[in-house]
Amino acid sequence: MEGYLNISHTRVRYGENEILKGIDLSVRKGEFVALLGSSGCGKTTLLRTVAGFNTPTEGTISIGGRDVTRQPPDKRGMALVFQSYALWPHMTVDQNIGYGLKLRRVEREAARQRIDEMKALLGLQALGHRKPAELSGGQRQRVALGRALAINPDILLLDEPLSNLDARIRLTVRHEISALQRRLGITAVHVTHDREEAMVMADRIVIMNGGEIAQAGTPQEVYNQPNSDFVAAFMGAENIVEIDIEVSGSSIGISEGRNNRKAVIDRGDRPLVSGPAIARFRSETVRMTAAADAASGAHRDGLVLTGQVAQVSYPGGLWRHVVHLGDTSLIVDAAARFEEGASVDITVPDTALYIFPRP
Amino acid sequence: MPIPLLGLLLVMPALVIVLILFIVPLVSSITGAFAVDGLFGFANFQKAFELYSSDIVFTIVIVSLSAVLIGLLSVAIGGYLTLGSNPRAVAILRWLYRWPLFVPFIVVGQILRTFLAKNGLMNSLLMQADILTPMQTTSFLDWRGIVIAFVWKQTPFVTLLLAGAMASLDRSMIESARNLGASRLRILIEIILPQVLPTLLVGLILSFVTMMSVLSVPLMINAQSPTMITASMAFRINAYGDYGVANALGVISLLTTSLVGWVYLRQTMREHR
Repeated sequence: MEGYLNISHTRVRYGENEILKGIDLSVRKGEFVALLGSSGCGKTTLLRTVAGFNTPTEGTISIGGRDVTRQPPDKRGMALVFQSYALWPHMTVDQNIGYGLKLRRVEREAARQRIDEMKALLGLQALGHRKPAELSGGQRQRVALGRALAINPDILLLDEPLSNLDARIRLTVRHEISALQRRLGITAVHVTHDREEAMVMADRIVIMNGGEIAQAGTPQEVYNQPNSDFVAAFMGAENIVEIDIEVSGSSIGISEGRNNRKAVIDRGDRPLVSGPAIARFRSETVRMTAAADAASGAHRDGLVLTGQVAQVSYPGGLWRHVVHLGDTSLIVDAAARFEEGASVDITVPDTALYIFPRP
Repeated sequence: MPIPLLGLLLVMPALVIVLILFIVPLVSSITGAFAVDGLFGFANFQKAFELYSSDIVFTIVIVSLSAVLIGLLSVAIGGYLTLGSNPRAVAILRWLYRWPLFVPFIVVGQILRTFLAKNGLMNSLLMQADILTPMQTTSFLDWRGIVIAFVWKQTPFVTLLLAGAMASLDRSMIESARNLGASRLRILIEIILPQVLPTLLVGLILSFVTMMSVLSVPLMINAQSPTMITASMAFRINAYGDYGVANALGVISLLTTSLVGWVYLRQTMREHR
């Protein structure tokens, strides 16, 4: 796939440590891509490498067919919005937004117009003469965005731009930024560690782990078809149980274990082989019922786990239960409350079950 | 014993020392400046201005010029330490620039005396490089020598303060300017300098006061007239035992430093508000 921004075989090292271990990624024009991962996974390094603040030891970065790997940051047609916003405290909002125009020797009147345009776009009209210290977090964030967009960049790079905002403001700013990006049709690469943020903002999510891309796909793909144990866990399938499976034709047999009943499920397109495996699932995707006697045959409606409720709480909407299965415990959400100590059956439907070979 | 009284007792030793060693001599030299044959009068000041007005102007011009040069150099060095792209050059400069801090003023005077003289090291190097002929050499042992000594000695001090302030700026402020296309010189002047200006001002004012009080450098380097107030004061006391005029000169230099001190105080007050 040949896109607008192409990153190929890119490796970056800081001293002894290789931070990026061969990244291949292609971003289409106008696409909003989120780089998602926990801290230290290399997502910020990748963004800074694209921006031109790190030089790869190997690989190339090109924009619209033009190799920019060795070009300085300002020759790449990109604007970066920093996590700390990096506004200049001695300049007013107008001066901050207009600095890139001043550097480009844009005529005073044209610059004035562009600054006003940016302020109108971002709802900063009344704040032109304020200094950054006199602005709220959300306003600063918008000034940083305005400064980046004022120079009309081909690509907008966002380095965790929402992480310094209050939780409530963050929810609205998410939608503001992605609406703005769509309206301007600008190509954007967004770094975040927040799964939900990536899901609601991006066209495509790139999940990174240990300097490599773990999986890339639409939000639905990475959420519903995680290709690895890591991605499944990162996308919220935190519950984990060990099972033994036997793959035969189009079905997978799950042998009876200490905490699970014998079951047969559809194989679907799972690339699995018989042997020890781990199964992951999300808390809210299961059905919890009072323990029943073991059925004679194999269960056909999913994986059935048996355990004891150890703790119940109400975070809102559903009841949250901590269920002990021998020495492991699961978190299970259910519409009905089960008392502590109750024996329960937990049925995980076939479609909500992510199975990977046990390492 | 009541607590307030105990507190007073605890600060007493410090207070007494300040009183005996600082306040009393200061007051006595200020009153001494106004004492003429045991009576109050301005004769000492009159004499000081008659004899030494060129020295007073010389001192203020030399020290101000040195302060300006120190400011320019320390901004340049601090800027290179912050923005320099060659890590080895930055490391060498960082290691090197502080050395003059550990050299006393008298030694600076001694070094520069042998370096700047007509037959000194600087001119012989320039002659060996065929840049100057023996006829063209001149001695730098005049006001230029004093300025060179002051700048050499005080630049590291101001740079130390300034480089610290520059290093504590958020790196991303520099990167965001680079991202928009600012050159390093513009980043230094438009982004970094405005933010460290208070620190630069403080460093220069402290240097100004230090330079105003140096006696060894003008004595070693500039054995002619006009010279600096400090040298005139020493001469007045050592040659004539004339404490009155020396005190008057002291008050004049105190007023000059008080003026810059007032700027410094106003600056720190503004920072702490």
